[in-house]
Amino acid sequence: MPKLHVRVLRQRPDTQARYDHFDVEVPDDANVIDVIEACWRQDQNLMYRHACHHASCGTCAVRVDGKEVLPCIVPLTACKSTDLVIEPLRNFPVVGDLVVDVSAFFQRQAAAGMVITRDAEETIDGHPFQPSELLQSDGKLERRHYNRFENCVECGICLSACPTLSATDGFFGPAGLAAVHRAWEKSTNATERAALLDLADRDGGVWQCHGAYECSEACPQEFDPAEAIMDLRRALIQRKVAALFGGGR
Amino acid sequence: MPAPHVVIVGAGSTGAACAHDLALRGLRVTVVERGEFSNATTGRNHCLLHSGGRYAVTDQESAIECIDENLLLRKIMPDALELNDGLFVALTEEDLGFKARFIAGCEACHIPYRELTPAQALAREPLLNPKLLAAVQVPDGVFEPWRFSMAFLATARSNGAVCRSYTEVVELVRQNGSVTGVKVLDRVTGKTDTIGCDLVVNAAGPWAGEVAGFGGIEVPVQPTAGIMVTVGRRMNNMVVNRLDKPSDGDIVVPQRTTSIIGTTSWTVTDPDAIDIPPEHIQKMLHKGIELIPEIATVTTRGVGAAARPLIKRANEDERDVSRTFECFDHKRDGVEGFVSISGGKTTTARGMAEKLGDLVTRKLGLSVACQTRTTQLLSYRLFYA
Amino acid sequence: MSLHSTNRARPRKPWQWIDIRGRRTGMWAFALNRLTGIGLVVYLYLHFVMLSQLFMGRAAWDGFVELAHSPLVLAFDVVLFAGLIIHGLNGFRVALNGFGIGVRQQKTFFYGLMAVGALLLAISTYLIFTL
Repeated sequence: MPKLHVRVLRQRPDTQARYDHFDVEVPDDANVIDVIEACWRQDQNLMYRHACHHASCGTCAVRVDGKEVLPCIVPLTACKSTDLVIEPLRNFPVVGDLVVDVSAFFQRQAAAGMVITRDAEETIDGHPFQPSELLQSDGKLERRHYNRFENCVECGICLSACPTLSATDGFFGPAGLAAVHRAWEKSTNATERAALLDLADRDGGVWQCHGAYECSEACPQEFDPAEAIMDLRRALIQRKVAALFGGGR
Repeated sequence: MPAPHVVIVGAGSTGAACAHDLALRGLRVTVVERGEFSNATTGRNHCLLHSGGRYAVTDQESAIECIDENLLLRKIMPDALELNDGLFVALTEEDLGFKARFIAGCEACHIPYRELTPAQALAREPLLNPKLLAAVQVPDGVFEPWRFSMAFLATARSNGAVCRSYTEVVELVRQNGSVTGVKVLDRVTGKTDTIGCDLVVNAAGPWAGEVAGFGGIEVPVQPTAGIMVTVGRRMNNMVVNRLDKPSDGDIVVPQRTTSIIGTTSWTVTDPDAIDIPPEHIQKMLHKGIELIPEIATVTTRGVGAAARPLIKRANEDERDVSRTFECFDHKRDGVEGFVSISGGKTTTARGMAEKLGDLVTRKLGLSVACQTRTTQLLSYRLFYA
Repeated sequence: MSLHSTNRARPRKPWQWIDIRGRRTGMWAFALNRLTGIGLVVYLYLHFVMLSQLFMGRAAWDGFVELAHSPLVLAFDVVLFAGLIIHGLNGFRVALNGFGIGVRQQKTFFYGLMAVGALLLAISTYLIFTL
């Protein structure tokens, strides 16, 4: 049972932020979320978000020693020492302690319109998956692809890591633009595709990215928002060049 | 006259679905949750959208509830589910002996099923234990628990419900033998205030006993913990179950980029202080490897445990306690304006809410029918709209 | 739905632009770009002030040219040139990324360009002090 010394950034909307110190003991194989929970057991006023404890809900994102992580999948053995500093995400309004207000974030995610289920990979480790015959509600079989939830868990880590967002609120943000890219990639409807590119082209869209790639570095799900942003830029440049030479939009 | 006001305590899948049901019936609804929405029992569950197959032999009441709700949720929550069916896999002669009972159970509970040969099963799930003897396909599915609840809350909110997280009930307000409101502590402001209402719904899951205790009432809830071990890679697309009676480590649920091995079952006294026994983790991995040997090659990604709010009945082992639910009208305890709902599963949340909504409207002297069967749920993202 | 939300984080402080704690290469690139960008804008105005010496007559201008050859100002020229190179090359990288070029190799790209920049700077420093 390692003994840990934890400093947690505590605050409320109307109070000055301060670090509270907690001494906790957790099992050897604990993850950082268990440490936060141990702190909460000592002080139930400590506000933090969590739900699934396996990096699917995306609620628990915080900064541990300055770096954005999903504490539910970071083992203590991956931490540098038994002293931890836990702070809320940057670039979000703070509701209290480690809880940030994700309203604006989800409004943008909704505008981006990414559907959260998609076709599952054709292969896992080179084993081909056949398009399957799946049961319908009436018990009949239907041939369709396996589906699965998107990689992006909408945790907000990429927004916290984004230097552009540290300078302005106007930026749509990596997750939102990656969602636009995903929706654009998947759509087969030309009007919808054009509208999604328009969204990416607007003030606060892809052009405001400074190419720091911190979003992709920080992403716990290997979603690579930066590459999505650059791909949208490429598509927009292509469209603009085509328009310049009378190719329509 | 304004519509009656109902306060729901707890915003797990049950509380969220109840909020949706009651808001749709035109009631004024306030949901209070002491932490993040569905942070506990619902948040940390299997993510299994039950076909009912798991209970087809041992608990047919639950099995029928599951298949009914499963087929219904597919229609009203289409985008938030992974619908790849499930396999019940026989690995031993003993498992194989269970197959006939399993199929009879599926038929009795009208669960669609299809028998697969080992070759057919392996063609669909190449990482299954190649020594399998038989498999049965049923319409299991997968949901994302937090988004599942948020879809209900988003819809409730669009129908006028007020949803307050980080708001903890500290007292039931009583007047002349009736509950007339709740006193809550707002963790953001640190202030307590009283929310007056016509009726309080106790949907606090494993904490239902504690909440009812504020009114000196007993709810026979038995917090029963279970652990989930999530591995570092997605191993399967279909839910993989052991073809046997429910037992420890008999299921591997795929989700997003991972697979989740579940689960164990032990009674806890305090659902806030669940210490995960390390041997349970080892047991999960060991049993998971029996189903999908490849699990031995990947790292463990996350481990979680939460307490289920099973309903206590005399002389039952916790594995045999029915997974169905119950509504308690505390009129039977001499208290008006207070009902509890407990037990059940996330899969059956909507059905539970329908029963509760019927009870609540009856108690309030209203006659409005439940409309949740045919109402499309909003995206979870619109909760923040 | 608008891109801009009314929901704002706490007022940001400019030091956050160069807060590289917990960050990787990309943040260095961003911070350097911000700093050099500000530097270049300041220099632009300084440049106008210098040019305005032309209006003050020949003597004033000759005096300024004299000053411009002092080692201190030459050192300043090196710093200025460094800023120009860093800002220009980094901008070049981001622009090419936008065309889909070097997206996956962006880190190598950054280090490569900075190496080229260092070489250019060494050459130009030599030229500035010898010509």
